[in-house]
Amino acid sequence: MNDLIIALIKVVFIWVWVLLIAVVMTWVERRGAAMIQDRPGPNRAGPFGLLQPLADGIKLFTKEDIIPAKAKKLLFILGPILFSLPAFSAYAVVPFGDKIVLGGKEIILQVADVNIGFLYIVALGSMAVYGIVVGGWASNNKYSILGGLRATAQLISYEVPWGLALLAIVLVYGTFSLREIALAQQGTFLGILPNWGVFKQPLGFILFIVAAYAEANRVPFDLPEAESEIVSGYHTEYGSMRLGVYLFGEYVNLCTLSALIVTFFFGAWHLPYINMASFLGPISYGIASFLVFFLKVSFFLWLFVWVRWTVPRFRYDQVMGLGWKALIPLGLLNLFLTALAIQLTA
Amino acid sequence: MDIYFWFFALVAVASGIFMVTAREPLPGALGLLTTFISLASLYLHLHAPLVAIFQITIYAGAILVLVVFVIMLLMTPDEELSVKQYNLSYKSMGAIAGVAMIALLLVGVRGIACIVGEKALPSDFGQPGLIGKLLYSDFLLHFEVVSVLLLVALVGAIYISKRNL
Repeated sequence: MNDLIIALIKVVFIWVWVLLIAVVMTWVERRGAAMIQDRPGPNRAGPFGLLQPLADGIKLFTKEDIIPAKAKKLLFILGPILFSLPAFSAYAVVPFGDKIVLGGKEIILQVADVNIGFLYIVALGSMAVYGIVVGGWASNNKYSILGGLRATAQLISYEVPWGLALLAIVLVYGTFSLREIALAQQGTFLGILPNWGVFKQPLGFILFIVAAYAEANRVPFDLPEAESEIVSGYHTEYGSMRLGVYLFGEYVNLCTLSALIVTFFFGAWHLPYINMASFLGPISYGIASFLVFFLKVSFFLWLFVWVRWTVPRFRYDQVMGLGWKALIPLGLLNLFLTALAIQLTA
Repeated sequence: MDIYFWFFALVAVASGIFMVTAREPLPGALGLLTTFISLASLYLHLHAPLVAIFQITIYAGAILVLVVFVIMLLMTPDEELSVKQYNLSYKSMGAIAGVAMIALLLVGVRGIACIVGEKALPSDFGQPGLIGKLLYSDFLLHFEVVSVLLLVALVGAIYISKRNL
């Protein structure tokens, strides 16, 4: 019973926390864009415009909920739900800190430490496309369908290099458990570097982050919603909070991907050269590991914003060409080199 | 009474029937997706997490996405699937195939019950590492044969789709 309550608290906590990050991200996105484009951005609601997300939320909730007459009603409602579900579900296996000891009981800061966590992530990643497809199809609008088509082709193409990069990581650490991968990144590598995945898998990291941008439909891969070509792609017909759920789901997705990047390549909650567990108490260590983890996550979230407002969008054939002709061969090469290195050093 | 099994079994069968009878193509595909996911849940229940995840990644995440892709390319949302093959010979052939399939499944179920019986499972049953070891030791030949088969299929697909190589 006690374990059940702890698990429930963890689920609710991480859910609320990720929602909070997504809310703040909408603000960061707009202020970041303004900063990069040398203009003030939304700065009227509250200090630094921090209440802007709240105002946006109220606006989206109170707007009239329009379902187009020609739309497929049930599917239209289902679309945003299917889109945001996989993004949240990924947090079941992503660790968000080491462990915290409360009243003599050791609590791992992860909802479920399953030994197939890695496969679970890959499976969920392949589910994300349905929300976009269903939304685009249900809108019964040619731009929406084009957006859905693009999303399908893009996601299915970039899942392969994404999975190949992760496979190389699994080869290096020899486990499917995300927590074990995180734990293995303590200490130093080759004497001077932090023992992080990015130093053992530099090519894998580049492949993973490129594929992650494509999976999240972010610039330069936001072809499914390229406004200069197909209005707004799969969510052209959406308004009010249904659109809000799509936009929100995207930020939750970004947060999940950033957490995965940190877990696999940037030492999860470990600080370089410093072993926090050696001088912090059990409770403060738990909190510190949580904070360090999300400090790293926030950097990658900022990177998503930074890239969005700096890099122009690809052409569609370039996106497909990059995926199939560059990333997949490189992913296979990386897998081969990793296996070879492990074989030679073992 | 195994509630978990019955729940997902019923969902799988119901969504399967929905998939077959759906007039619109995309809801039909989503019905198939539901079937795949409930099957994966049943595999999880049978202590086979790897099979469950492969069920989702490969069938729901890759094959069905391709099916959906084709639906989106060939049809518009207002079109419905029309019943073109509504004659007696197709119907009777379908009935025979269905009955044969059920008979085959029943034989299979009986066979499994005889082989497995009420044996207790080893603690590491169905773990990915164990399956990998089996694949690369006892079943290496089968594994390689399957990979050659896939390669042949790949070459064939490219040959068919490209008229002038």
